[in-house]
Amino acid sequence: MNALEPLVDEAREHLLARAKREGLVRVGYGIMDSPLGPLWIAVGPRGVVNIHYGVTPDPRELARITRAYGPGVLPDRRSCDRVLTELDQYFAGRRKRFDVEVDLAPLTPFQQRILMATARVPYGELTTYKVVARQAGNEQASRAAGAALGANPIPIVVPCHRIVAADGTLGGYAGGLPAKRRLLALERGKAEVPAGGWERSRR
Amino acid sequence: MLTRQTIILTAPSLLARAPSVRRSGHRVGVSSDTVRLTSAVRAPFYRREIGTVTFGELLERHEREIFAYVLRLTGSRADADDLYQETFLAAFRAWPPPRAGNERAWLYKIATNKAIDQVRRTRRLVPLADLRLAAPERDGVTLSDLATAVRTLPTGQRAAFVLRKVEGRSYAEVANALGCSEVAARSRVAEAMKKVKEAVR
Repeated sequence: MNALEPLVDEAREHLLARAKREGLVRVGYGIMDSPLGPLWIAVGPRGVVNIHYGVTPDPRELARITRAYGPGVLPDRRSCDRVLTELDQYFAGRRKRFDVEVDLAPLTPFQQRILMATARVPYGELTTYKVVARQAGNEQASRAAGAALGANPIPIVVPCHRIVAADGTLGGYAGGLPAKRRLLALERGKAEVPAGGWERSRR
Repeated sequence: MLTRQTIILTAPSLLARAPSVRRSGHRVGVSSDTVRLTSAVRAPFYRREIGTVTFGELLERHEREIFAYVLRLTGSRADADDLYQETFLAAFRAWPPPRAGNERAWLYKIATNKAIDQVRRTRRLVPLADLRLAAPERDGVTLSDLATAVRTLPTGQRAAFVLRKVEGRSYAEVANALGCSEVAARSRVAEAMKKVKEAVR
């Protein structure tokens, strides 16, 4: 079966090229081996649509992507090149702002406003769910803001890890609280993010 | 690794005992372990219920098997490559798959039809009768005699014989498949033909 692998890879390259020529590929995805563990990354025609902690996509995110772009979601590392480069630089501490486009179109207007407010929080700084809710136009909605951030389809690039609870506790994080802590530490320049990820360093 | 597997194996019973865990335990999870494991456990459940939603999933799940199948059908890497592409492009154009959970059979059917099309399009099969091995004056010769004769040929000659006389390929294709010159391909086929005729006489 292993001898077959390179042949299949080659055939898949050919298939991808043809599918692209025929306009069948709308979203390309790839897996990145980040210091926080593997990330599943998808990029559509208008930018990054999803970053998910893990080697497989989140089924709900996948359903959302399919609703917006149809079934043309294919493994295609090349379409992820830009965001992969920027993430590499970010994890190495050499990038403080992401320039890559993000695609929030499939979300509700409130979710979009929350995530846009989040994207304005500068590198290395923290703000609260309440402040983000106010910036999104409804100060009362800090819980809803928390929910919107919990469902952030593009973590790291949209820095929801910079949002914490008003009482000083960390709040939640889709990639796990250790991941949130390590992203914040990285941004404060206090800690190296060692290769291998939080999974192995947990103990 | 071991612990993770163990947990995945026992997870369905855990879920059965506490059904609420399955819904709420995903994102808001108490510890990172919960998040990782629940999402790892959830995927197969989800897939079995809903089926394939993206082309990428269909590809990643079935491409190796389909490639192996078309490789066996065609016996050639280049043709298998073509067939694999044709199969998946046809599947994509005909999206969605007819019934959730039935994608595999669907893909096999498409691949088989594409293989038949490919044969029709590219080469005319030479009927066995044309080999004059089963001619009326040699009624005693059966297909199994013929098969035995073919089996006893040396590998190179056997491949040349099957490609040319059974699958009806051109000498150029035979040469290409065997990695030899066209002259060598012709001589191998001729040699094989001679031996087969002798064997069934």
